[in-house]
Amino acid sequence: MVTQEKLAARFGHLATDQRMILAVLVIAVFIAFAIRTPAFLNGQFVIFPLIRDTAVITIVGLAQLVTLSIGHLNLAVGRMAAVSAMVAGFTYERMGFGLLAGLIAGVLAGALVGMVTGYIIVKSQVNAFIVTLAMDFALLGLVTFTYISLTDAAAFTVKPEGMDFIRAGSLADFCVFGWCGPSVIPVIIFPALAVVALISFLYYRTRLGRELLATGVNLRAARLSGIPVDTRIIQAHTLSGALAGLAGIFLAYVNGSFSAAIGSELLLPSFLGPVLAGTLLTGGVVGVFGTMLGTLLTLVIRQGLLVQGIGLETLNIALGVILLLALSANKIRTSITDLFRRKAVE
Amino acid sequence: MKFLAKRVRTTEFSLTVLFVVGFVALAVTSGGVLLSGQSIRSFLTYLAIPILIGLAQMVVLAVGQLNLAVGAMGGAAAAVMAQMMVVWDAPIWVALLSGFLVATLMGAVNGLLVVTTGLNGFIITLGTLTILEGVQFALVRSFTIDGYPAAVKAFGKIEYLNIPSVFMAAVVTAVVLAWFFRTNVVARKILATGANPLAARLSGVSNPLSVFLAHTLSGALIGIAAIVTITSLGGINRSIGGDWLLSSFAAPIIAGVLMSGGVVAVYGTVMAAGVIRLVDIARAQYSLDPSVVNFTIGTVVLSTVALSEWRRRRSEIRRQKYVEVDSE
Amino acid sequence: MSEILKVSGLSKSFPGVKALSNVNISLRGGEVQALLGENGAGKSTLIKLLTGVYQTQEGGIFLDGELVSFGSPLEATKAGIGVVHQERNLIPYFTVAENIVLQDQPKRYGLIDVAKRRARAQEALDSLGLAIDPDEIVQNLSVAQMQLVEIAKALATDTRVLLLDEPTASISGSEATKLFRVVAALKAQGTAVLFVSHKLEEVFEVCDTVTVLRDGESVIESSPLSGYSQSEIVAAMVGRTLADRVKRIRTVQPGEPVLELKNVDTAIGHKGISLSVRAGEVLGLYGLVGAGRSELMRSVLGLHAIVSGEILLRGKPVKIRDVRDALHKHRIGYVTENRKEEGLFLEFSINRNIAVTVWRRLQGLLGIVREHKETEVSERFVDRLGIRISSVTQLAGNLSGGNQQKVSLAKWLAADTEIIIIDEPTVGIDVRTKANFHELIMDLADQGMAVVLISSDLAEMVSIADRIMVMRDYQFVGELANSKEYSDVSTGVMEAIQSGSRWSS
Repeated sequence: MVTQEKLAARFGHLATDQRMILAVLVIAVFIAFAIRTPAFLNGQFVIFPLIRDTAVITIVGLAQLVTLSIGHLNLAVGRMAAVSAMVAGFTYERMGFGLLAGLIAGVLAGALVGMVTGYIIVKSQVNAFIVTLAMDFALLGLVTFTYISLTDAAAFTVKPEGMDFIRAGSLADFCVFGWCGPSVIPVIIFPALAVVALISFLYYRTRLGRELLATGVNLRAARLSGIPVDTRIIQAHTLSGALAGLAGIFLAYVNGSFSAAIGSELLLPSFLGPVLAGTLLTGGVVGVFGTMLGTLLTLVIRQGLLVQGIGLETLNIALGVILLLALSANKIRTSITDLFRRKAVE
Repeated sequence: MKFLAKRVRTTEFSLTVLFVVGFVALAVTSGGVLLSGQSIRSFLTYLAIPILIGLAQMVVLAVGQLNLAVGAMGGAAAAVMAQMMVVWDAPIWVALLSGFLVATLMGAVNGLLVVTTGLNGFIITLGTLTILEGVQFALVRSFTIDGYPAAVKAFGKIEYLNIPSVFMAAVVTAVVLAWFFRTNVVARKILATGANPLAARLSGVSNPLSVFLAHTLSGALIGIAAIVTITSLGGINRSIGGDWLLSSFAAPIIAGVLMSGGVVAVYGTVMAAGVIRLVDIARAQYSLDPSVVNFTIGTVVLSTVALSEWRRRRSEIRRQKYVEVDSE
Repeated sequence: MSEILKVSGLSKSFPGVKALSNVNISLRGGEVQALLGENGAGKSTLIKLLTGVYQTQEGGIFLDGELVSFGSPLEATKAGIGVVHQERNLIPYFTVAENIVLQDQPKRYGLIDVAKRRARAQEALDSLGLAIDPDEIVQNLSVAQMQLVEIAKALATDTRVLLLDEPTASISGSEATKLFRVVAALKAQGTAVLFVSHKLEEVFEVCDTVTVLRDGESVIESSPLSGYSQSEIVAAMVGRTLADRVKRIRTVQPGEPVLELKNVDTAIGHKGISLSVRAGEVLGLYGLVGAGRSELMRSVLGLHAIVSGEILLRGKPVKIRDVRDALHKHRIGYVTENRKEEGLFLEFSINRNIAVTVWRRLQGLLGIVREHKETEVSERFVDRLGIRISSVTQLAGNLSGGNQQKVSLAKWLAADTEIIIIDEPTVGIDVRTKANFHELIMDLADQGMAVVLISSDLAEMVSIADRIMVMRDYQFVGELANSKEYSDVSTGVMEAIQSGSRWSS
């Protein structure tokens, strides 16, 4: 039974393996692009936006990861982001909220949407896929309608105090004894890292995280083991909504305004990070830090291609291919472990 | 007498009634404008595509899968045809046939990927959708290609008794598809795969083949939709197909096609597409924002699915005393 | 009639396990042969070999004297071996006719010939004397009718050898009788039938010959059934007579009942259920599959609605909302009968599987659960139950059936439950581990737990239970004290089931 042990150990350390591979890939691709086009190393126009986008997209990826952990999907991440951004923008423009207050209001709005979604899934017993898909369309309508009725330019444009700092601030703005931090590192990466740490902590250390994973691995067994699965499902979707919302608000900060267009292109990226990290679509296995690395990898590729002057179309094609390859790789890995497991039990 | 058949028939009946009532209501409130030749022609012309893409999605739903790339496939195929006719000066028939074949081929690729990776169609088509959006953009860039031969546009305008040719094409396709699923062994095998893959396998049905064929057929139907697009719309740009996804789902689901597979409802899908189109007209007539339509449709789809799930559980409870609390 | 099927020297091994060893069978046309064996004896492996799910390694399968080998289930079917599995395998949305001919639909000019299809289906149904409408949609049929349709389907594909795998597992009474009549019709037509069942009464009623498997070997090979008594057959199956089974006499402390049901009706059909269990007692719930025992206990756990009556815990009426409530508030545990689908997280480590019920207790500040505490808990119970593993980080999916079942039980012990419901604990487990488990259950009772044991294995029931309540069709039909004498108890139980009336002895 030694082989099974080894594979089991490896299966259990799936996330670790992925992280190493991803980290190596990130470095390799980065170096490759840098060599190819020295312009790639431009701090202000390439590296800074790269890290900034990684921060935001990682949070989106984590929003999807949370739903994947229970074996569900959140097809409405983009719209949830839009709703939160809308609420935040509204509080800034119409209610004069400060930066943090508006942020909290927006995130709560996202959490609320997530909670409603989770509640619908649990009560109607309908597939999460359908519910979030329908929710996506319903929200799209809602958001567009709200912007059009409340604003002239279909956007909230008032910028609260501090928004510019989040958008453009970097470590260079922090100086200690005359030594300032590197200007390529945007301040926005820090809240993102905090979120990564928090989610990581949730899944690897806490009871809630374990129960979420158990729910994802085997819903029936989880229920019969005394885990309040309905509550966990709602909690997962709520958290997903909150994270999506946070990402949406950050996205609005980065773009400089709050409009209905926010979140429209987040669905694919929300999957890329988690899938590259080895997160299973069927639930129970997540790669939190790997999500950040996976996101970073795809964004390095994107920036690299852009710098080379290669257009949007090639980028899309590349990302689609990466997703399919990553999915296939995951599937192959689980098939192998399945095969060994089945042989052992027969 | 026959449970599922009855339910689908009831749905078909309700949708027909809904369509007729809705149409009459809108005709009346529009002061008869809706009944003018022009309006009817326009109504039917813009109904052709929702019917076709609804059927394209239905076929994939029948094997318990989803095709998120419906819009991207249509857009890319349309872009290919436009490119061929305008930039490469290809003969019309060659271009149209190529577009159709390209769409069918894309469906086949989806099917192949699904079968070889064992993953569900939705995530695979999420990947191919992204790729195809890139392809579509590569072909048309930020331009609108509309300089194709007059004959093509003329075809789009042919009508007989105010029934446009493109609508006829859609109806004929629907009829052929319905007949196909009723009488063709291969089609029945596809349904068997969707309904109960294990039982199907034990009866000699190749499930991978069924899934592959379903996706390919979906591609073919999208190919027809792309041809309709190019003949009836002014020009092809990168946004073509961008709004196809919701209606491709809404129609079959409202018509009672189960997401779990094994069921097709051609007439219902056509009627549902018609009802959705009426909602759109109502929106225009009352100057409502388009987002309202999306919201409504999203809610209706959700309710339909929830209702069918609820009904399914109740019938399970009635038939057998034992029911699982959570079936996935 | 002549021999149709012959199995000669058939052996099959998997990594570390020899599932079948030199099995021999002979089956003639018009003969109904019983295939018996405890769970784990090799029955399912043999069936999978005969039906083409597994490929033969050693030995041979002969049809009409010719050596055959099947690369797939379809090949086996085409060769003439039909099988009706325990679970239904029909297309619910198709008609009976279409299901019957699904493998080879009659065509005319490339299209389905509906008339011919109906005719062929009708023929198959008629030959078995079935009055089922071929145009009926399968989903509308009862489970029993669906099974009969599957038999008709097997006939329509020129089946020479029909394998019936636990055919009465989910049907009973008049439906079972109808099934036996169909089997008789098959016999008359010259089909060879292999009847796999664990219900000895039925076997003796229906079958001509018998093959008994034990530990992968054929200890009785296609012998006439008339030459054996029931206890001789059981002896062959378990390797020793029932009299040799350890009879452990236990005394139950008198005391107030810990769990009581008073006149309970459930939303799924139970009527007027009353029972009680005391601490230190093992209450057995016996019945055929489908009697409603698991469903009753699941209702107690809140998984199905209770529409009238009361549940009392330690004398106080309670409303149990869900399993979580049952566990944390009332200290009730439930070891499910489907350990793989519901009892375990196969992809998780043993550690997590056992600690899942105590995470709540182990959690500290901010909900943190320390892994070493998990390990501590799980190692304690691994020792206590004698689970054979190399480390608690092993995946539950890699364990043998017996060890998996122990893990499934361990998590409830870890949670310090006082009442435990154990549902079909030893299905698919080898004989030695089975006995081990029985001792374990009795130990639990000795330690003061109230145990409700659901089992369809009467011998198991007689070994362990203090009292036996008999269920049928979602009602109680009898209650007996367990004298530990198999034949007495068996008679009492069977009478209760057959009479369908309620009495207590």
